[in-house]
Amino acid sequence: MMTGVLPLVGRRLVASVFILLIVSFLLFVVLHVLPVDPAAMSVPPNATLAEIEAKRVEMGLDRPLYVQYGIWLGQVAHGDFGTSIHFRRGVLGLVMATLPATIELALLSMIVATVLGLAGGLLLFHTRGTRTEKAIDFGSILLLSTPEFLWALFFILMFGVALPLLPFTGRLDPNMSLPAGTGFLLFDSLYAGRPDIFWSAVRHLIMPSLALGIAFSPTIMRVLRSSFLDVYQEDYIHLARLRGLSERRILLRHALKNAILPTLSLMGVQFGFLFGGTLLVEVIYSYPGLGNLMVDAVRNADLPIIQAVGLAYCVVVLMINTIVDSLYLVLNPKLRLR
Amino acid sequence: MRNILPPWLRSARVIIGLSIIAVIALCAVFAPLLAPHDPNEQNLLTTFLPPVWAQGADSAYLLGTDSLGRDVLSRLIYGARVAMMVAVIASFGAMVIGATLAYLAGYFGGRIDSLIGRAVDVWMSFPPVIMSLILMVGLGVGLRNVILAIVIVDWTRFCRVLRSEVLVVASKDYIAAARLVGFSHWRIITREIIPASLPLLITLVSLEMGIAVIVEAVLSFVGLSVSSQTPAWGQMIADARQYIYDSPWNLLFPALTIFFAVFGFNMLGDGLRRTLDVRLTAVQRV
Repeated sequence: MMTGVLPLVGRRLVASVFILLIVSFLLFVVLHVLPVDPAAMSVPPNATLAEIEAKRVEMGLDRPLYVQYGIWLGQVAHGDFGTSIHFRRGVLGLVMATLPATIELALLSMIVATVLGLAGGLLLFHTRGTRTEKAIDFGSILLLSTPEFLWALFFILMFGVALPLLPFTGRLDPNMSLPAGTGFLLFDSLYAGRPDIFWSAVRHLIMPSLALGIAFSPTIMRVLRSSFLDVYQEDYIHLARLRGLSERRILLRHALKNAILPTLSLMGVQFGFLFGGTLLVEVIYSYPGLGNLMVDAVRNADLPIIQAVGLAYCVVVLMINTIVDSLYLVLNPKLRLR
Repeated sequence: MRNILPPWLRSARVIIGLSIIAVIALCAVFAPLLAPHDPNEQNLLTTFLPPVWAQGADSAYLLGTDSLGRDVLSRLIYGARVAMMVAVIASFGAMVIGATLAYLAGYFGGRIDSLIGRAVDVWMSFPPVIMSLILMVGLGVGLRNVILAIVIVDWTRFCRVLRSEVLVVASKDYIAAARLVGFSHWRIITREIIPASLPLLITLVSLEMGIAVIVEAVLSFVGLSVSSQTPAWGQMIADARQYIYDSPWNLLFPALTIFFAVFGFNMLGDGLRRTLDVRLTAVQRV
């Protein structure tokens, strides 16, 4: 089975690398038409004009944009993403230090979105034609109209301020320190045998991951419902009925296999958006991930960071899309023939 | 009574959506007449007043005041201006670009189609929030650039959905007949294909307006939208977040306002999708 899938996945990977190159070039161009001068910002404030000019030449800023891009790409290939203007530290280290936090949050939110989306879709389909469906359908528009940052704010007001049940800043209680390791707190704390840190991390993740997960679930619900409606028109479902199978078995064992496919390809797109949505949720919950790094960099006009973080988001999104597409190929034998 | 209404209006969702949008639009247009106070007028003696129904309120400030003693209601009313301006102009801009490319890709196919498809792929690898943030860094702040950023980010939403619709329409017999008669490409697209895809286009614009409201709120929340002199809903949230314990109301009102605005556009879009009978599968809606 895998032999038919691997070349297709390989082709998808090559396409992703190609897209990444274009994306990095676009990023480079957008950030270099900026009205700020990176050379002037990376020398001490009392530098003379000649010193700034020397820095410009040193940084290659006097050359055409595509040459600059080539230089930058060459450095990136050697793992050199430049130095942050504000923090005076290597950008790669800063990104790598914050990326695990964001991935942890995004993964948990995707689980929340998937569970809620699939459950809601099944419920919508199960209650089709009844009043309950109309109510849930209306509810799904309400959900659709509430983006993740509004959920994040509502949750803070409800469970942080009105009923102080959960913490809403950072990843851990202030008196705890991050255990050394991968940067994935839930994993590190268990590995270090610290259930107290694990529990604190979980409590800090509940509100952000619920906010993101709930915001992205209604689209999954609606797609699953409509693909169920499509699948139930097919002859094999009628045949299954004639064979006397129970409705439950038809739904879960026969219809779900086909209905899940459009839902899965939508979830690839949704998870890309969700990964971008972590930025706002991180800012609202002061969660130390990529998003906060990015927003700080934007405020400080810290170009090397903006560039690297922007690229990091794209790499993760492309990875998610490739994984979902491969899963799609594994689950849908029809696509493997070509 | 019902028969007086045109068919596209015979839906509770369309009417609810239009009513909400009409209220917000009226607030935007007549803000100076409706707002009880100057939205930027500070009064440091009366900061953090609660809304009138809570204890210790001042009836001159219906929804209370913020950290600088500015009237929350007036700021919400004036904030509708930025929101509606962005919603209308940005979504039409995104529609014009996205639809043009979709018609070209779907009608001509071949190399044009695959080129536009590649561009969409590149755009899709960027989370919209990240892309609009980076564009705002590149373009600089200001209302015009917010609109430009939304157009640049969101044209793909139109392009992706409309392209597949155009592919279906373009393969119909009446299009082949139009070609045989010798109509020009321009005439076939504008007179035969666009009318067939108009319901879908209208529905998409309505949904996009809601998205534009959200994006503007997000950008002004992180301080990358209009200047602080212009009231904007996202900005009010950002201000109130720092004083969440002093006055949770200040956070709640703009958040609810954004929700209602987006809800209005989504209801209208969803209602139109049904009354205009758009065969829009949910995959395409995203």
